[in-house]
Amino acid sequence: MQIAVSGGKGGTGKSTIAINLAIALREHYDLVLADLDVEAPNDHLLLGVELANEEPVELFMPRFDYQKCTRCRKCAEVCEEHAIITMRDGTPFLMPNLCSGCAACEIVCPVPGAILPGKKLMGHTYLTETPYGFPLVTGRLLEGEERAMPIVSRAKKRAQGLEKELLMVDTAAGTSNTVSKALEDSRLIIAVTEPTPLGIHDGELILKLAKLMEVPAMVVVNRSDLGDVAKVREIAEKYGAEVIAEIPYSENIIRSYVEGKPIVLTDYPEAGLFREIASRVVEFLGGGE
Amino acid sequence: MQLVIASGKGGVGKSTVTASLLYLLKDEYRFVAVDADADAPNLDLLLGVEHWEEERELVGAKVARINTESCIRCGICQERCPYDCIKVIDGDYVVSELTCEGCNVCGLVCPVPGTITLEEVRSGVVRKTTTRYGFPLISAQLDVGRPNSGKLVTEEKEWAKKLMGELGLKHMVVDSAAGIGCQVIASIGGADLTILVAEPTPASLSDVQRAYKVVQHFRQPAYLIINKADFNPGFMALREWAEAEGIPILGEIPYDRAIPRSMSMLKPFVEAFPDSKAADAMREIAERVREEILR
Ligand code: SF4
Ligand code: SF4
Ligand code: SF4
Ligand code: SF4
Repeated sequence: MQIAVSGGKGGTGKSTIAINLAIALREHYDLVLADLDVEAPNDHLLLGVELANEEPVELFMPRFDYQKCTRCRKCAEVCEEHAIITMRDGTPFLMPNLCSGCAACEIVCPVPGAILPGKKLMGHTYLTETPYGFPLVTGRLLEGEERAMPIVSRAKKRAQGLEKELLMVDTAAGTSNTVSKALEDSRLIIAVTEPTPLGIHDGELILKLAKLMEVPAMVVVNRSDLGDVAKVREIAEKYGAEVIAEIPYSENIIRSYVEGKPIVLTDYPEAGLFREIASRVVEFLGGGE
Repeated sequence: MQLVIASGKGGVGKSTVTASLLYLLKDEYRFVAVDADADAPNLDLLLGVEHWEEERELVGAKVARINTESCIRCGICQERCPYDCIKVIDGDYVVSELTCEGCNVCGLVCPVPGTITLEEVRSGVVRKTTTRYGFPLISAQLDVGRPNSGKLVTEEKEWAKKLMGELGLKHMVVDSAAGIGCQVIASIGGADLTILVAEPTPASLSDVQRAYKVVQHFRQPAYLIINKADFNPGFMALREWAEAEGIPILGEIPYDRAIPRSMSMLKPFVEAFPDSKAADAMREIAERVREEILR
């Protein structure tokens, strides 16, 4: 089964909550954490591990055999990304940056062998052991590449392939379709938000997405003393979600972050908050030992 | 001149820095501001925008639909979808609208003509207003579950260019999206320079290094602003990196409670708390932007 930690906007402390929750949950489940914020993956930094077991994510990219190509332009016409331009005589050229690797051009090309399956590297996935008793799968988009979707989907598959009792995904910020891809198949979404006007605005969007996807959501309010938690409750209620924890702004959390020591493993009182979130999750999922 | 403010990831205060910088430059320069974070726009909130003067719907996004009546349930579409967006629900093949990229591969491979159609859907809105500070703002909001499209940003920038012509504006200041994906590439591409905002943490350093690679890809000059500069005193790696890469540091903003407080007041912090330490630092940064960038 799968649960997700997501948040409307970046910097709400989503990754901090994800790693601490993962550490707290490993006492209940055999789990894997997947960092699917592929444009800026950070969970490994917070866990203090170096990414390992790199696997490339390569996508199809058409290469034209101009000896065989009849200049019929079908490939250019079918390309939804307008990644193929044609010269006046119909000669196709690829603009690699726009290509999504979908292979539609190859499917429609009427001349066998006129389009050859080239490959382009989009990014990597990693499988890293952590000292906390669970592995971390990370997806990482290559700088200069635009398409996060294939990396999210491949990293998620890699994590699913481990067949752990619990897959916990940490998504990117926002509500685009790569976030939906990460959230897909979740039994529960933990939406991390701040009680500021900006946080509430973005938090509402993620609850909206959860609702559209028909996944139950719980809300964790981070830096809860920097705003109006009642407003967050109001929004949560509107979407049938419950606020399960309030984490005040805390120097201890910052300190533990800077020291690379997850707060849940310290004696600071904040550690208890994360254990409580974990027990709410366990209660909801009705599992574990 | 087109300048972009980027960070590689949200949460380091990029938009609050942008809002304050715009506030400090507004009397002297004529510019249009563009919020290119269509996934989670917030410059409008930070600038106290209450209504939009003009909104344009952006259609463009496409999703596949399967006609269950004519579908023979062969499963080929599911097998060939490059992004795993086709599920079997109660025996029917169904496209997940919230993840479909609209590439139409399923439609091309389906053996029953007409069963899969590609439909245009709304991807979001692009909108314009004049802020209470006098300069115009272009912003966009992506609809939930749509591809995180660079097209929206391109659309915003085109509108901004038109406005520059109409109003005789000299500059465009783009607040880029988080991350390094298509929206960021659309933001940085075509700009003259990028100002990176980062905080002294390993995570922020890693994010900003990735954003810088995108900047290098477009062969642009970059500058750095360090936010929450005193937040992690032992951490020198960010400054060392900037030095090694030859990225000039425009200034350092200390951690200051005035910033989160100003955010709740929906005002740039230099306006809300002009006497704060952060505001002092920000004014120095604006001065350097005047001298070195906008000359
Ligand atoms: S693989 Fe898809 S996106 Fe790339 S050129 Fe072919 S049709 Fe276009
Ligand atoms: S579809 Fe094939 S034959 Fe036609 S222009 Fe494209 S590559 Fe050439
Ligand atoms: S249009 Fe492309 S992404 Fe969408 S379901 Fe069809 S094959 Fe999959
Ligand atoms: S390929 Fe066409 S006929 Fe086959 S399952 Fe998909 S929609 Fe149905």
